[in-house]
Amino acid sequence: MEDLLLYLTNGVFMGSTYALVALGVTLIVGIMGVINFAHGELYVLAGYFSALCSQALGFDPLSSMVVAVVLVFFFGLVIERILIRPTYGQEMYSLIITFILYIILQNAYLVVFGPYPNKPPNWVNGASDILGLFSYSNQRLASFAAAAAVIAVFMVVMRKTWFGRVIRSVAMDREMASLLGVNPERVNMLSFGLGCVLAACAGVILTPVFPVTPTVGVGISLTAFVVMILGGLGSLTGCIVGGLLLGIVENLGVAYISSGYKSLFGFLILILVLFFRPTGLFGQKRL
Amino acid sequence: MQAAAKDFSKPLGGESAGWLVILAGFSCLPFVLGPYWLNSAIVGLFYVMMASSWNLLAGFTGQVSFAHAAFAGIGCYTSGILSAKLGLHPLFGLLLGVAAAALLSLCLGALCIRMGGIYLSLTTLAFSEIVRIIIQNEYDVTRGTMGLVVPFIVGPYSKTTAFYIMLVAAVGVVWLVSWIINSDMGLRFRAVLNDETAAQSLGVNVTRVRLNAFVISGAMAGLAGSLYGHYLMLITPHIPSLDMMFHVLAMAVIGGLGTMAGPVVGAFLLEVLSEFVREFSDKYHVLVFACVALVFARFAPQGLVGLSVNWWKKVTGGKRST
Repeated sequence: MEDLLLYLTNGVFMGSTYALVALGVTLIVGIMGVINFAHGELYVLAGYFSALCSQALGFDPLSSMVVAVVLVFFFGLVIERILIRPTYGQEMYSLIITFILYIILQNAYLVVFGPYPNKPPNWVNGASDILGLFSYSNQRLASFAAAAAVIAVFMVVMRKTWFGRVIRSVAMDREMASLLGVNPERVNMLSFGLGCVLAACAGVILTPVFPVTPTVGVGISLTAFVVMILGGLGSLTGCIVGGLLLGIVENLGVAYISSGYKSLFGFLILILVLFFRPTGLFGQKRL
Repeated sequence: MQAAAKDFSKPLGGESAGWLVILAGFSCLPFVLGPYWLNSAIVGLFYVMMASSWNLLAGFTGQVSFAHAAFAGIGCYTSGILSAKLGLHPLFGLLLGVAAAALLSLCLGALCIRMGGIYLSLTTLAFSEIVRIIIQNEYDVTRGTMGLVVPFIVGPYSKTTAFYIMLVAAVGVVWLVSWIINSDMGLRFRAVLNDETAAQSLGVNVTRVRLNAFVISGAMAGLAGSLYGHYLMLITPHIPSLDMMFHVLAMAVIGGLGTMAGPVVGAFLLEVLSEFVREFSDKYHVLVFACVALVFARFAPQGLVGLSVNWWKKVTGGKRST
């Protein structure tokens, strides 16, 4: 019983971070129709930035995280302006370009940071007793709280504020929104940057728990893609539900079936979704 | 079929004389090159098959698949395991390798192609990683990253034999691609590429056309992979990796997507270039390629072949006006 609860807790923890990463990809897909294959690489970049800031420059954890996220945001804006904007309306080239970008970034990290794992110091130390059943690392609890907080803030911004309404209007009908005075190019640029910020948030929140290496990015991206298809392309709620679901299924699968094939469970879910409900859990529009 | 039979002669007329001269020059290579560069030529021919068949998919039907290297891996592991463990003749294993790649591409394609381009790219990327992970983890069968030792294609080991076999296969693949493009199936491919809705309204079954292209190119990748594996005599999870996928993609993009000559030019150019870059430093080799490919994809999506055709048109046009 304790074991099952521990696996479920782990699943929810992992799921919240999956949701966070997938929200970034979904935002970019929903608004621009562009898949960012380099999403996981931005996660890795933020992890490296936060580790460097706290190790080399001696920043405290919070400010090194903020610096990392801001840097990745501007990096995202540059990518959008130089590489993505010219491919609007040509889906194939945006797929090819972001895939090449993923290869470039991965190899650049290998050259710059080396193949060794890198991590910033933990925010908190020790472990807490959960309901007297099992002890759970405090850093994981703190990371979970941070991920949940970022997701909550993001959802409130998208649902309740003027900025979120502008973004959603472009996602719904680009031409109508531009007739009503929204500048769609600027919205694209901002939402790409915002998607990168979500990847970066996940990166800085998770690197104390899972150290970054140059090659972890592709796994992060793939998980995000599976969550996005599971939840329904373009659905933000779907991402959160899908992320939690995938996290729980993966952890139960690793615990009770086989630990060598963690990513296989995600792929099985992907196949089942494509077979039985290709629009995903919350997808309405046929894409 | 009538139209297909008529166009059948098309690749053999006109400009095909140029192709024949190049081919004749190529078949003399084993007498000219030393073993080191002959090896490069064979690897180059493997990449010609990979890039041409990927181009059939991306360049002519507009679908970006990231599972091409995975299908090559499925081909080479099917054929390699059957011939190494069960003692099957490699040529027979080769056929089964192609069949396995075709069958899996049919399953994968049937699953995601009806949902459109984005789904295909996402699913093939996930599939590619899964294939690599399974091959890496099933140590008992595939010997993981250590690599599986497999027999040579035919008879005793000889680079010259391997070169001619690869040359025949590569010419076959390129010819088949050009034949398909000029047949009425190719007409449907281009109709789907140019305007999906219009093609559908004229009675073209878009999903089936895309599935056809996906399966044909997957089978070709399986063939290329099996031959390559039996040439190397040691197959590793590098063949179904995303790194390999990137090389194929870069060759097609730099050479020129949607042209017949593009992937051929790109494959040889990058293979020769990679020998020089590797001499300089192995660490930067992929990074350099990726940057070049990015510049092409962003600023010259028509590729080298497209650029030279445009330049030629400009030059000859200029002559006419003076």
